[in-house]
Formats: sequence, structure tokens, C-alpha cells
Amino acid sequence: MSIDMSQFYQVFFEETSEHLANMENLLLNLDVDNPSLEDLNAIFRAAHSIKGGSGTFGFTDMTEVTHVLEGLLDRLRKEELALRPDMVDAFLAAGDVLRGQLEHHQGGPEVDGGDIREISARLTQLAHGDSAATATAASAPAESARELNLVCLFPPDLAASEAEVDNLLAALAEIAAVDLRHRPDAANGLLDARLTTARSDAELRDALAFYVGPEEIALTPAVGGEAAYGLFEEAAPAAQEAYGLFSEEPAPAADATAAYGFFDDAPAAPASEKHEEDAGFGLFEDAPGRPEALPNRDVAPGDSPAAIEGPGYGLFVDAPGGLGVFDNAPGAERLSRPAAAPAATTPTSPGRRLSDHPSVEVAKSGRRDNDKTAAAAGADTSIRVSVEKVDQLINLVGELVITQAMLSETAGNLDPIQAEKLLAGIDLLSRNTRDLQESVMSIRMLPMSMVFSRFPRVVRDLAGKLNKQVEMKTIGENTELDKGLIEKITDPLTHLVRNSLDHGIEIPEKRVAAGKNPKGTLTLKASHQGGAVVIEVMDDGGGLNRARILEKAKERGLPVSDSISDHEVWQLIFAPGFSTAEVVTDVSGRGVGMDVVKRNIEGLGGKVELESSPGFGTRTVIRLPLTLAILDGMSVGVGGETFIVPITTVVESLQPRLDDIRTLAGDSRMVHIRGDYLPFIPLSEVFGLAGVEDITKGILVVVEGEEGKAALFVDELLGQHQVVIKSLEANYRKVPGMSGATIMGDGRVAMILDVAAVIRLGLANAKRRAA
Amino acid sequence: MDIVDSSGVPASGEYLTFTLGREEYGIDILKVQEIRGYEAVTRIANSPAFIKGVINLRGVIVPIVDLRIKFNLGEPGYDQFTVVIILNIGKRVMGIVVDGVSDVIQLDSASLHPAPEFGSILDTRYILGLGTVEERMIIMVDIEQLMTSQEMALVETAAA
Repeated sequence: MSIDMSQFYQVFFEETSEHLANMENLLLNLDVDNPSLEDLNAIFRAAHSIKGGSGTFGFTDMTEVTHVLEGLLDRLRKEELALRPDMVDAFLAAGDVLRGQLEHHQGGPEVDGGDIREISARLTQLAHGDSAATATAASAPAESARELNLVCLFPPDLAASEAEVDNLLAALAEIAAVDLRHRPDAANGLLDARLTTARSDAELRDALAFYVGPEEIALTPAVGGEAAYGLFEEAAPAAQEAYGLFSEEPAPAADATAAYGFFDDAPAAPASEKHEEDAGFGLFEDAPGRPEALPNRDVAPGDSPAAIEGPGYGLFVDAPGGLGVFDNAPGAERLSRPAAAPAATTPTSPGRRLSDHPSVEVAKSGRRDNDKTAAAAGADTSIRVSVEKVDQLINLVGELVITQAMLSETAGNLDPIQAEKLLAGIDLLSRNTRDLQESVMSIRMLPMSMVFSRFPRVVRDLAGKLNKQVEMKTIGENTELDKGLIEKITDPLTHLVRNSLDHGIEIPEKRVAAGKNPKGTLTLKASHQGGAVVIEVMDDGGGLNRARILEKAKERGLPVSDSISDHEVWQLIFAPGFSTAEVVTDVSGRGVGMDVVKRNIEGLGGKVELESSPGFGTRTVIRLPLTLAILDGMSVGVGGETFIVPITTVVESLQPRLDDIRTLAGDSRMVHIRGDYLPFIPLSEVFGLAGVEDITKGILVVVEGEEGKAALFVDELLGQHQVVIKSLEANYRKVPGMSGATIMGDGRVAMILDVAAVIRLGLANAKRRAA
Repeated sequence: MDIVDSSGVPASGEYLTFTLGREEYGIDILKVQEIRGYEAVTRIANSPAFIKGVINLRGVIVPIVDLRIKFNLGEPGYDQFTVVIILNIGKRVMGIVVDGVSDVIQLDSASLHPAPEFGSILDTRYILGLGTVEERMIIMVDIEQLMTSQEMALVETAAA
């Protein structure tokens, strides 16, 4: 009864990346000196779920890493070890390795085996680095150390591998003194050893569960202790029974009562659901290590009501495959979600704990149950929808808005008294349409925390690399931004953050010398301002060095004078190839970047500005439109045609006087505006239209593009609109000077100007004329 | 796309015929999305004269080409009788202005005569053949080849 596991891969990939992200997040927020048990447990749960999932799906490489990771985490959460910053580093690194492995399974490049070995070694060493200290502490209560006989049979392939056996013995040696009586080999996979340990049986089983199925492990107390380990006495014979069954062929479901007793105990498993359990069987047999079947098994023989109640069921569900598969099974789904929570809290040794302190455990899991149920309820109220569908919806609503605008315009010509009802209806329609458009647009909106959440890690790693102390603050993570923008803003923001860390925030000594807190602060802030989203990257570092920038600019032959304003000096940073960094690091300083940042942001219809004061820090302000699909524009008329000028590029509009227009070398015209000379670009000339000739009858729109300011000369200003951007390229081709088209209220098409390109075209025109 | 069409031997099918000046042309009816009247277009700056501009076709921006100007046929006047054939070619939508739409005819490849090779504005590459229906000569145009050709300047070529 084999099931094609690959159909569940996607679920596993998604869940695992969520777990990894969650784990990283928790790690970064962890207070190293005083970690909350809650957080440690949550991290452990995440690691544990990954281990379980990867085991089920046969991604053993991930299981191996998580196993080591889990080992250390387990000791931490049991407070056997104190958390240290280097552990957090190791955890984060392990998370990276896991992510790499996950990507590899999704078709990405393979992870360097060295990395995996290194991180495993690092984690193991951390887990046992001070085992000397803890071991003495643990062995102090002499009665807790005991002797056990361990007998288990390895699958032939495993037993044949010297390295695997070494690994296993090493793992075992970490938690118990091993007196090996028979080492498993290719001929005989039997492991027979006498163990001396302070650990619980469950822990021992856990160590082995990674290599062999739990049914194949027999643990018997070597001396006395029957009363204390009564539970296992019952379990051991059962295991040995199963042992024979398992040595060669998988047990048929019907025979498996002893080994699989726990299945029968599952509360939501009436006989009619038997076939589903069978499916579960198939899964467990496929699972290589069957690592997590163990705790379930411990519960079963106990058969106590407490074990069968909520927690018992939860354990069952949390078993690998249980999550992936039973969730999908129709009968189990209803119960599995909330029940998964309590299981996760005590996966290693639930049997022991349950029987020892039933009341405490139940109370505890009850609480968690509530927590998780609330979270699960939250998850259930959202659905995954493809972006394509949402975009289609947005398009349709866009059409509706246009149609509505057309109706309103036509209705405007009607007699308001006669058509009173119609007009009222149209008013209502327009309100509803606007509401509808807003709601639909909001579907595509994602909170900024999607972007911000990646920075704590970046900052942490970089600060470590640069030997700086940096605290990161985020404000306004809930500010929403269009999905398309969210994706595209990440790179520029990362660049700005790296810049701030590298060039902005000083090393602690320097900060102390300047009378500042040795710990620098990097603040990421997002907010709504008008129709725009403003994202700020602030640092309290040294600020920009005006003199150095000017010097560098002169070196590079940029036209600067010492008297230009600070604002203009800061803008120089955005010039291509500009860098004042003394040392080119692998973080930044090659001078590629700020110009790219600026270009990217302008490509999104946004703007970047820099503010800086020496000694107090630098602030980079990015202004972005709310969405890519809608643009705030000023409509201008030229020769009977309507053009939309994106409002972000408009500086001002004014009525020129004849003597404001000056000529340069006879033909090139300039406009003199408050001391500035700007190129005069008549749109009618650029687009070959018959526009207004008389300068005093038209309007000048001062715009700012990539290459500076220019004055566009147009016939008239028509108004200001929010326009829906339509692609010209879909059915036609790119038109020089246009960034797209839109449909106006009267149903006609208007072109949206690409201001930078229009300026280029205008200047080229002037040059051609001059030649 | 359609190899059969390009090789000059179209399969039997239905064709929409339209007039340009005194000539009658036929195009594959499956490429036709709809026929509508001419409405005001938005001009596109610095484009060739035969590209009239773009219209809003239910929210889609559609370029309009006047074939009469392109092929120097007929009087390029625009009134309520001017007809625009909206074509659906590949994934693109575009419109052509013609003098009038006349008929939908059924033709099979047997009744098509190859067009003689001689210099004309309409390159023989785009002519599938000449069909005869009731004494009328119909010029069968491979509209897809024509509209996506470089000289129509409607589609951005990879090289450009």
C-alpha cells in the first residue's frame, strides 16, 4: 500500500520554509541572557517539525542536520545548558544549511557537504562542550544513573556501513556510557550493549530512533528498577515480538497490533476509518528513520485515559507523515489541527512525562492547545489565491471604474431635475465603485513586514562581520504596499541597509569617543503620506562627509562648486560609480549601488532623498506610489491630445512670460525660473503636434527626471487624475517618450509620459536643430 | 505559426472579404475578433502615417492601422461607414481600417491560384493566392504574416 509521496512534497516545502522562517525570527528575537522557555520551546518545535517532515519524505540530509540541532535545542529548553550567543549563531547557520538543503530538494543547487558537516560538528560540540559540567551535575543524584541492556537490530544496509554505525555509537556515547557487547556489522546487524546513563529511556530511544525503527529497540533495565520502569517492561516484549516481524518484511496491518498499538488508541479512529490508518501505515513504513513513532508508542501501552485524551491524540498527529498526510485525510482533518499543538511540546519523552505527572502535563497542553487553536483559526480565515486571479479582478474593476466615469460624464449633460433619480443612482454607483476598487486593490497589498523581516538577519550578520554593535528597529511594519512593489523594493532597501551599516554606523570605540551609545541604531520605518508610501532607512552613525564627497566629485570631474547646498551634495552620491569609501569591503564601497538604488526606485515611480547631519546620522527617504497599477497624474493638453504627466515628476507649473525664455547660441531655448536655467521643451515639437505657438498662451510644467529638471511647454493643464496604467506593449510596441497609456473618463486613450525619455527626446531635438 | 499558411497552400476554410479601393481581399475568418465602426483614435507620436493610433476596446489598448494608407488604395476618409476589423493574432489584438466588409466566403485550396511574382506594395510573401468567386478576384492575404511583419512596425522585433 504505497503512496506517491511526491504529491505531498509541495506541502512539505511550504511548511518547512515557514518553520525555518519562524525559527529564524524567534532566534533573532531571543534574549540571549534570559531566554524565555516559551521561545525555546517554539524553536524546538519548529526544528522538530522539520525533522519529522523531512524524515517522512525521505530527505534524510535534512533529518540529519535537524537531529543535531534538535539535540542542542532540547538541552537548552530543559535548561541543562545555558544559551550563549555563539549557539544562536550556530542555530542561524544551521537554519541556512537547512534552507539550502530545502532548495536543493526543490531543484536548487546542492549544498556543500563541508558546510553540513561543519555545522553538525559545531552543534554537537556546543551541545556537549560543557557536558563535563552538566554531566557531573546530572550524575550527582546517584540514583538517577542506571544500567540498561540495549538490544536492537539494524537494517542490513545500515549495519553494513561502518560510518553509520560509528555515527550511531558516537551519538549513543554522548548520552550514555556504552559497554559494547556486539557491534552491528554486515553479517549481523545486532547491537548489544550495556548502557550506563542518567537519561530517560525515551531519550535513549530517541537517539537510536534516528537509525532504526522504535519497534526494533529493546531496552531492559540491567539491575532492578522494575517499579520505576514498569512501563517499559510491558513495552519491551512487545518490541521484541515486532522485532522478528520487522527484520525482513514489513508487518501486514492486521498483525501489527503489538507494534502499532498506538494507532488503535487514537480517539478519532473508529473502525470505519481503518483504511485511512492503513494509509498511514504505508507511510510509516516508507519513512526511513521512523523517528517519531517512538513517543507515540510509549503512550500506547500505558493505555491510561490521560494518554488517550487530547495529548495522546496530538502525539499521534504530530508523528511525521501525520502532519502531511493525516491532515489531508478527510476524517482526521477536523481534529488534527488543534491537536497538533500539545504533541509538539513534549515530543521526546511524552510517555515518561505523561505517566509521571499527568495532571501538570494536561494542564500545560491545554493552554498550548488554546494558543495554537487561536493561531490556527487565524490561518483558516485566509486563503491562497493566485496573483493572476487577483490581477484579473483588478483589471475588471479598472474597466468598471472607467465605465462608471463614462456614465457620470454622460449623465452630467442631463437635466438634473428630470433625471434626478438617475443621477442619484449614478452617484451611488460611483461611490460603490470606488469602494470596490479600493477593496480589490487591497488584496494585492502586503504589509511592509514582508520586507522588513529579512533585515534583522542581514543586520546581525553584517554587524558581526564588521565588528559593530547595531540594534535594529522597525516602525510601521503594517504599512501596506503593492505586492509588485514589495518584491522590487527589497534589493534597493538591502543595499541601503548595508550602506548604513558599513559606512554609517561607526565602530563602538569611535562611537564612545564621540559620546554616543556604543550600540548604533538602524531604524527602518514605513508610513503612508498622502497617496504614497514612505520608507525611511535611518542610522545614527557619522553622517555623510560633505568635504569628502565634494573632493571626490571634483576628482571625478563632476561639475561642482564649494557653495552648492547640502542637498545637492548628497545627491552626488547617486552619481554612477561614486564611492567615498576608503576601503572597499565585500559589503559595500565599490561605488556601484546608490545609482542603481536610485534607478530602481525611479523605475517604480518613486523618489529617493538623502538627509544627513555630521555626527548624528543619515536618513534615506524613499517615496513610492501605493501601487504599480495606478498612477497619480496631471493631464495636460497639447494640440488636441491629452497626455498624463506622472505627478511624482512634476515640480511646479507656471505661466511663462516672454522674457523668461532665453536663447542659447541662437536656437536652443532656455527658461529662466528663479535663477535656474532649464531647457525649454515644447511637447508639441517632441511629438510632432500642432500646439500653441505663443509662449504666453501656454503653460510650463517643470519636471524632474533622471537627468535633471526641464520645463515642458504644453497648451493647457486639464486636471489631476488617478489613472489606471495600461500597457502599450501588449498589443503594440514601446513608444519613445511614453511609459504607457490609460483610459480617460470619456473612454479615450491618453498617453502617459515617460518624463526622463521626453527630456532626452527634447534635448536631442534641440541638438538636431542646432546641427 | 501556421506553417501551411506560410507555404502558400492554405487549407480549405472560411474567409472574410473586404474591399480596399476597388480591390477585394480575403483573410482567414478565425483571425477576426469583431468588426466595428471607426471611432476617434489617440494618435501615437512619431509613428508612420498608416498607424492611426490606439483605441480603447473595452479597456484594452488596441492599435489601429489604416490599410488604405499603407497600400495606397482608396480614399482615407473617416465617417460613420468606415469599418475597422479587429484581428486577434497570436496573443495580440489589433485593428485594420478598410473601405468595407463584403462577405464571408468558403474557399478550398484547389480554387486558389498562385499570385504572379511582380513588384507591388503588398509583397507576394504575404499573399496566399488569388481566389475567384463569381467572377470576382479575391486576394487572399496571410494577415498574420503581414501584421507581424517588420514593415508594419506594429510588433517590436527582437533585434530592435
